[in-house]
Amino acid sequence: MSIIEELQPIFRSVFEDTGLIVTREMSANDVENWDSLNHITLIVEIELHTGLTLTTEDLMNLANVGDFIDMLESKGFIPNGAG
Amino acid sequence: MNRERTYVAGHALHDYNAISKVKMIEDYKYINTLKEFICSKFPYFMGGFDRQYAKFGDDWASAFNKELEVFFGSDEDRIQSAALGYGAFCLDSMKLQVEFNKTLEYRNKTYAEASSEVYQNRDYMFGLYLPGILISHYLWEHHYVQLKFYEKELIPRIAEISNPLIYDVGVGTGFYTKEYLRRLKSSQVTGFDMSPHSLGHTEMMVERWDFSERYQSRLGDILERDQTEVCDVINSIEVLEHLENPVDFLHGLNSMLRTGGLGFISAAINAPNADHIYLYRNADEVAEQIQTADFTILSQTVDQAYEPRKPGDIVPTNAAFVVTK
Ligand SMILES: C[S@@+](CC[C@H](N)C(=O)[O-])C[C@H]1O[C@@H](n2cnc3c(N)ncnc32)[C@H](O)[C@@H]1O
Repeated sequence: MSIIEELQPIFRSVFEDTGLIVTREMSANDVENWDSLNHITLIVEIELHTGLTLTTEDLMNLANVGDFIDMLESKGFIPNGAG
Repeated sequence: MNRERTYVAGHALHDYNAISKVKMIEDYKYINTLKEFICSKFPYFMGGFDRQYAKFGDDWASAFNKELEVFFGSDEDRIQSAALGYGAFCLDSMKLQVEFNKTLEYRNKTYAEASSEVYQNRDYMFGLYLPGILISHYLWEHHYVQLKFYEKELIPRIAEISNPLIYDVGVGTGFYTKEYLRRLKSSQVTGFDMSPHSLGHTEMMVERWDFSERYQSRLGDILERDQTEVCDVINSIEVLEHLENPVDFLHGLNSMLRTGGLGFISAAINAPNADHIYLYRNADEVAEQIQTADFTILSQTVDQAYEPRKPGDIVPTNAAFVVTK
C-alpha cells in the first residue's frame, strides 16, 4: 500500500468527502473544505496515525499532497505492508 | 474555483450600487503580493484574505495595503520572509490550540523561559513572531475588530487632550505606536519593551512612517522600572497573558498614568502561544484584574477569532478595554 492509499481515508473523513481521490498534485485549492482549521485537523490526525510529531518547520513548505508525502517519508514513515 | 465569486459577492454587500467599479482584492498590489507568497506556501490560508475582504471591504483593504506599502515597500525579500513568518506563527498557534482544546491548560512555562526562547531570541522575533503579529492585525478578524474599536472608542476621547504623551508598554511590532502617531498629529509616544528586537522593529516602523521625531524608546522590564513622569494615555495590547502576575503589571501601568488619563488594554483569552503564560478563561477575569488595579472601564469589546466548528470547541478570543483612572 502506498502512503497516499493509506492516508486517503483520513483525508476523506477530515474533508467530509467520501469519494475524494487523493493525488500527489492535489492542494488546498482543489478541495472545497481545505481551509486552515481543517488543515490543522488533518495534521493532527496524520500525527496520530503515523506516530510522528510534526514540527512547524516540517509543515512550512507543504504546497500540495506530494510535498506532504515526501516530508513524511523523510521522517521515516513507512506505509503498512511496505518494507 | 468559486472563491472569486465569493469575494465579489462579499464586496457587493458593502457597495452594491457601484457594480461597474467593483474592486477585487487583487487590485490591491501589496496585499496581492503578500497573498501570493503566503498562498504558494500555505494555500489553506487563502480563505483568510477573502473572508476579511468580504467582511470589511475596501476600508480594510486600503488600510492593509498602505501598511504593507509603507513597511515593506517593494522589497519582495522582506515580504516573502514576513509571509513565511506569518504562516509559521499561525501554524504554531493553531497546533497549540488543538492541544489546548484537549488539556484546557497552556503548556507549563515560566516567564524566564518565554523571555529567553522568544523575546531575547532575534531569529524567532524577526523571523516569525513580529511579522506574524504585524500581519495578524489585519488578517485575524478579532485583531482587526480591536483596531476598529480603538478607532471608534478611544481616538475621539484622546483628540480632546492637547499634545498627549502616550506610553505604549510592550510595543511588540510598534503597530499601535504608529497608529497613535498617525492619528494624533501632536502626540508624543514612548515605547517600553524588554525585548531589544521589539524596540528595533518599532523604531523601523516609526522611521518608515516618518514619525521618528515624536517617538522615544525605553528598554527594560516594566515590572522593574521606576517611572516618575506620568502620561496622558497608556497602551498595552496583548501583554497581560505573557506575564506570571498580570495584576502587578496592571498596578505598574496605573502608576504610569495621570489621574483622569485614558488607557487601552487588551488580553488574549484561551489562546495558547509560544509565550502565553497566564491563562484567562473569559473576559470577566481580565475586567476584574483591570478594576483591581484601580482603573475604571469605559468601554469594552470581546471578540472570537472564528466561529466554533463544533459545540464545545474553545476558540481564541480577544478582550480590549478603554479605561480611565
Ligand atoms: C504580543 S507582544 C505585544 C504586541 C504589540 N502590542 C503589538 O501590537 O505589536 C508582547 C510584548 O511584550 C513584551 N513584554 C513582555 N513582558 C514584558 C515586561 N515585563 N516589560 C516590558 N515588555 C514586556 C515582549 O517583549 C513583547 O514585545
